[in-house]
Amino acid sequence: MKKIKQFKRILFLVLSFSFALSASAQDKTITGTVTSESDGLGLPGVNVVVKGTTTGTATDFDGNYSINVSGDSTILVFSYVGYVTQEITVGVRNEINVALIEDAASLDEVVVVGYGARKKSDITGSVSSVKAEEVTAFPVLDAQQALQGRAAGVAVQSNNGGEPGTPINVTIRGNTSINASSAALVVVDGFVGATYPQPGDIESVEVLKDASATAIYGSRGANGVILVTTKKGRKGKMTVELNSNYAIQSTSNRLDLLNADQFATYTRAINPSYTQAAANTDWQDLIYTSGNTANHQLSFSGGSDNINYYVSGNYFDQKGVVVNSGFERFSFLSNIDAQINDKLKLGFNAFGSRSSKDGVSTQANSGGRGSGDVISIAYRFAPDLGVLDENGNNTFNSVGDDIDNPFAVATERVDETVEDAYRANFYGEYQIIEGLTFKSTFGFSSRNQTRGQFTPSTLITSAGDQGGIAGIANLKNTNLLSENYLTYTKEIGKGNLTLLAGYSYQKDRTVTNSAGAEGFVTNSVSYYALDTASTPLFPESFLREFEIQSQYGRVNYDYDDKYLITFTARRDGASNFAKNNKYAFFPSGALGWKISNEDFLKDNATISNLKLRVSYGITGNPSIAPYQSLATLESIYAVAGDQTVNAVVSGRPANPNLKWESSYQTNFGIDLGLWRNKASLSVDIYNIDTKDLIVGNSNTPEYTGFLNPNFLDNIGEINNKGVEITLSTKNIVTDDFSWSTDFNWSRNRNTVEKLFGSDVDFFLPSAAPGHFLQDETHILREGEALGQFFGWEYRGVYQGGALPEGTATFTGAVAGDELFTDVDGSGEINSADRKIIGDPNQDWTFGFNNTFKYKNFDLGVFFQGAVGGDIYSFTLSELASGGSNATTEAVNAWTPSNTDTNVPSPGTREKRMNSRFVFDGTYVRLKNLVLGYNLPQDITEKLGMDNVRFSISGQNLLTFTDYPGTDPEVSYRASGSQNANVNQGFDYGNYPNIESVTFSVNLKF
Amino acid sequence: MKNLKYIFLLLVLPILGCSDLEEEPVSVLSPDGFFKSIQDVQTVINGAYGNMAEEAFWGRKLSLPLMLRSDMVGIGDQGTAGRRKDHDNFSVADDNGMITAFWPRTYQIIAGANEAIVGGNGLGLAEESINPVVAQAHFVRAYTYFHLVRLFGDIPYFDTPVQNIAEASQVSKTPQATVYANIIADLEFAKQWLPDTQPSSALPTKASAAGYLALVHLTINNFQEAYNEAKFVIDNEARFGLELAADFQDLFDATKQSGLKEALFTIDHNGFRSGNYGQDYTAALTGIRANEDGKGGGWSVAVPSIEVYNRWDGRDYRKAVSLDTIGVFNGAVDTFMNFPTYDARNISSAYIAKYSRFTGQTSNGNGRGSEHNYAQMRYAEVLLIAAEALNEVSPGSTEADGYINRVRARARSGNGSSFPADVTPGMSQSDFRNMVLEERRWELAFEFKRWYDIKRRDLGTTAFGTGGFEERPNFNPSRDYLLPLPNDELQRNPNLEPQNSGY
Repeated sequence: MKKIKQFKRILFLVLSFSFALSASAQDKTITGTVTSESDGLGLPGVNVVVKGTTTGTATDFDGNYSINVSGDSTILVFSYVGYVTQEITVGVRNEINVALIEDAASLDEVVVVGYGARKKSDITGSVSSVKAEEVTAFPVLDAQQALQGRAAGVAVQSNNGGEPGTPINVTIRGNTSINASSAALVVVDGFVGATYPQPGDIESVEVLKDASATAIYGSRGANGVILVTTKKGRKGKMTVELNSNYAIQSTSNRLDLLNADQFATYTRAINPSYTQAAANTDWQDLIYTSGNTANHQLSFSGGSDNINYYVSGNYFDQKGVVVNSGFERFSFLSNIDAQINDKLKLGFNAFGSRSSKDGVSTQANSGGRGSGDVISIAYRFAPDLGVLDENGNNTFNSVGDDIDNPFAVATERVDETVEDAYRANFYGEYQIIEGLTFKSTFGFSSRNQTRGQFTPSTLITSAGDQGGIAGIANLKNTNLLSENYLTYTKEIGKGNLTLLAGYSYQKDRTVTNSAGAEGFVTNSVSYYALDTASTPLFPESFLREFEIQSQYGRVNYDYDDKYLITFTARRDGASNFAKNNKYAFFPSGALGWKISNEDFLKDNATISNLKLRVSYGITGNPSIAPYQSLATLESIYAVAGDQTVNAVVSGRPANPNLKWESSYQTNFGIDLGLWRNKASLSVDIYNIDTKDLIVGNSNTPEYTGFLNPNFLDNIGEINNKGVEITLSTKNIVTDDFSWSTDFNWSRNRNTVEKLFGSDVDFFLPSAAPGHFLQDETHILREGEALGQFFGWEYRGVYQGGALPEGTATFTGAVAGDELFTDVDGSGEINSADRKIIGDPNQDWTFGFNNTFKYKNFDLGVFFQGAVGGDIYSFTLSELASGGSNATTEAVNAWTPSNTDTNVPSPGTREKRMNSRFVFDGTYVRLKNLVLGYNLPQDITEKLGMDNVRFSISGQNLLTFTDYPGTDPEVSYRASGSQNANVNQGFDYGNYPNIESVTFSVNLKF
Repeated sequence: MKNLKYIFLLLVLPILGCSDLEEEPVSVLSPDGFFKSIQDVQTVINGAYGNMAEEAFWGRKLSLPLMLRSDMVGIGDQGTAGRRKDHDNFSVADDNGMITAFWPRTYQIIAGANEAIVGGNGLGLAEESINPVVAQAHFVRAYTYFHLVRLFGDIPYFDTPVQNIAEASQVSKTPQATVYANIIADLEFAKQWLPDTQPSSALPTKASAAGYLALVHLTINNFQEAYNEAKFVIDNEARFGLELAADFQDLFDATKQSGLKEALFTIDHNGFRSGNYGQDYTAALTGIRANEDGKGGGWSVAVPSIEVYNRWDGRDYRKAVSLDTIGVFNGAVDTFMNFPTYDARNISSAYIAKYSRFTGQTSNGNGRGSEHNYAQMRYAEVLLIAAEALNEVSPGSTEADGYINRVRARARSGNGSSFPADVTPGMSQSDFRNMVLEERRWELAFEFKRWYDIKRRDLGTTAFGTGGFEERPNFNPSRDYLLPLPNDELQRNPNLEPQNSGY
């Protein structure tokens, strides 16, 4: 009830605000249909703009539009990619129908680039655009999710399967770093480092990939940049849009585990005296439930002569497929622009959201005693136990580690995160003289987060001894940004010159504090009364600040619409850079040649567009967290005489020469349009050499006695090279039926070029769950790709007697134990027999979207997938190690009478890193299937509507893969830890991926 | 004029910025100018104590191998990590995960001591006021190098904080004779300046320094000096406030330890922890799986071989204190022969009771993060050192018999039995020598001393041969008395070559 009340309140505010603004608009309304001259079909998305203003609209799915104009002399401009722009004077008419003529040469779509916009045809860098309708093709919480498979070279990964509210990582053109993040820089409406707006508010997303495009973002550009532009109002009557959808969700896959009887048989083979308990519980059934998502968005937009506005409110509520998990968010966005006079324009952009996440612990770093990782414990827990024992207490496991049962953990543990985020951005734009404008923006954003956790004493192994454990942690982040730049444009003969010069200052400040306690009088206070506990835990607090000040500039020159030149440079100074390297300089340059505008191709019937692009530039990855170059003392916990005492140890030596990581990127691109751009193809080939990689200098001997002797140093080099192909075709275009296809394909190869020497394997910190007690799981080796799995090669089951050629066992093995490759030929397996057993890097990825339209129906089929990329399943490794439930594979385990098998005998074994648990992660997924219906226009008109659309869609309905785990999109330890970037392909207890069926209604009036 | 206000507006907006970009990390401690008072020196020494109580040193990474390499403790759960089993089986490789973990932590303790000594001396105070504090750091440094030199032989040795990393990356190993000489010099300094008593046995005293001098001299067969130092402690036991605890059990009851006067130096825990600091795992590693002891049982990792139970006289009160022969399962008591019934990772042997029976408050399940204070040296050991050393310099003395008898009398008083009886007077030198070593085996059972005894007295071939407590055919006396230096350290500094023999 509370939720509904809040929503109503927000809606009321939004409504009253927008009506107040629209009251001044008085004009007549022009309606009409825009069709393609060649086939007579309605053209969706055509821009209809009142000439000389920013007022405009776009045609709907059938080519219909409606626009308010202020007088008969108004001129309407109709423009659309690939068509000749038409200007029509309104006159006395109320209806204007237009047939646009296709024009190969007029690729006049405008693309947002850093600090400005360019005509798409004039772009010299590598830029992918994702359209608004692709972002909203199916409901997602985070617009980044919608980018998956939509743009070549853009990898999108959930941090944790289908967990409601889980962060999304977007990586462009591979991993360019070891320690630092490879996540792309996000810029929303010019605000660097902003949070994403909600998907329905997004007008366009531009992905800047090569150095020519990203160098304007200097030290933060190396991972690519995602520019998000939110919707703005256009002059005309107020348009109201309501988009509602509701999805029903379930787990897409589960593991086949032993039932109670099979489990008892299996466990007795390990421990003959095991007594089977009475229950038969499918723990996956208990912790999984059917989930649902409701998502409603209401927006109001419009404008008068001098002011336009866009105001939107959104409510998102997801109940997860694991009991007790969920996410809820309210958000609003308001964009207001005012033309004060001929020269001055002011604007204000505000965003706010409140989100609450109810979490259950999954993908835990350790699954030992008292583990809260509900997914992995649901797999491991004895199926012959129930939720409660005969005394009414929660059960805990009868084999293996002492863990509470997954249902109790999922329903009784509390983990809530509430976050409020606000952003306000004010700008002024002033035309100083003809062609020269100055724009200044001032922005402020704030993020406040509170996370509360409570484990009640009824979870016996987790918090029984302690009498309940609670903690509360707060984070407050503020970010201040000032951008100021001049833009100058001038026609010089047959050429056009655009100059940009700017200055920016940004300051980021984060304060955190946390407190905890254990030993509670009652479990009913959760984390809201730490003072009622008997034992306080250590409180912590931290302040982190950094500043960046930058100068940047760009020169664009195009000559005769054939030859294009771009130079870009940025100089960044940052407080987090080390003392001797406070400033960094990042230049880039690019050339473009529009061959199709040359005389010899101008009238070619087949080739309608042909452009070559080449660019080279240097971009950076700041990669240095604040204070990382300074020497430290660390305060530690110490006891003397049973009293806690102040104590410090040497933390880390200083490195005053530490500098950012630099990427040297070359890009070759070709854009080709055929048959009046019915088919358009873009191919980009790139090479990125990333140097000065920041790595903990593990050349420092540990006997120097620092807590962290591996001070950060610029050591390594990584190379990424790849190919990206984008192909869009209009396969069939007839009066009633059309079929179009968008296909993208990308391949990236990364190689560690230089690290600590060609013969030195660099062991990354173990990615195994802590309770596996595995020291080493994956390595970096010069000449190999990042994060190679490292362990023993499994060779089947030892049958007893003589060892097969080239194999051996660990000391003391008996028939039924594991057999491994004896790499060093010593006759015994030890740590010297390990080798690379898997490569988690994908060979190539693709997205393939087909859109069919028949009259008012449309059908979209979107496949997305990856080929290659090994997965190491810690989950399956654990389930095969004894001391837990097992997969049904255990039924076929080796016994003296069942020797023809690959599964070792039941037994308690070390969870060794070995190739038995390395699997090919290739998959193809039907990401989205959507069937839509637009009400015919005569009906919508009667209803007083502009457009009414119903659709039903399914997400993740089909997945083709040989991976035996639950889902091939894995991300264990791929976020949060220092080396997250190179922890690829690990699977342990991830929140299950979900499949959804979604019902949507879109109303526009 | 009209446009002036707009221009003004646009000039106001960009006014922000222009910073010197210097970092002012208020929430990060900086080493620059840290030492301002004696209290700051103590804070750095406390850092060394905190590092000792950390997981990678006495929490388990060093303490567990010391147990496992002895003939008193083996592996229970065979599914446990290979890096642990390799110590029990003498199959340690140069990348063993226990060694690579405790090696850096050990040097961090030393670095703390070095910082404190340089920082303390740099304060420019009178030696009477600063030396008693700096002497703690000398003691800590000696204590820590004493572990390293026994474990590895020749080692990289530093007695000042590392300032120049490039230089420090090229040092050669210091011969163990030099290391021992430095240890002795540090302990002599500590003995000179440390006070007679401290508020807690977590802080070293004059007696701690003398006791360790006795043990160091004993280890390198300087028996006269060993005897002198032990005798110095014994003669002044009242001045140092030392006495044997009346009840042997109380020594291993975490709630009673701080009231006793037997320990010369302890690594303290108080039932709290922060991450791996203050978190000791010994109770968990030695406990019985599925045992309903109120802590969730243990992990059955470090378990005595059945020979320990079989060969230990049942009348010895210390056996009852040191070993657990029963557990509680499903609400009923059962004996150790049936332990595996309740969890396949248990074995049919008596378990170590010294650490898991009375842990006091624990911050984590299985007895992790207990209140145990781990005595690094007890007064009983000083008596045994005196007896052993005296026997070497003048065999057959009643004085030596008397030291043993004090230890045995305390053992008897625990259960009123007549075992262990007083020493038969007039034993031969070699009989007495063997008797003392056996007495150390039982008195100091599982107290991380036995491996060092086996090493200094070259008992390995017997202990791990046929008829020994643990048969370990892999034991190789020319290799296993020393551990390998971590291979990654040799890669970082090839001047540390040669690796210890056999690795």
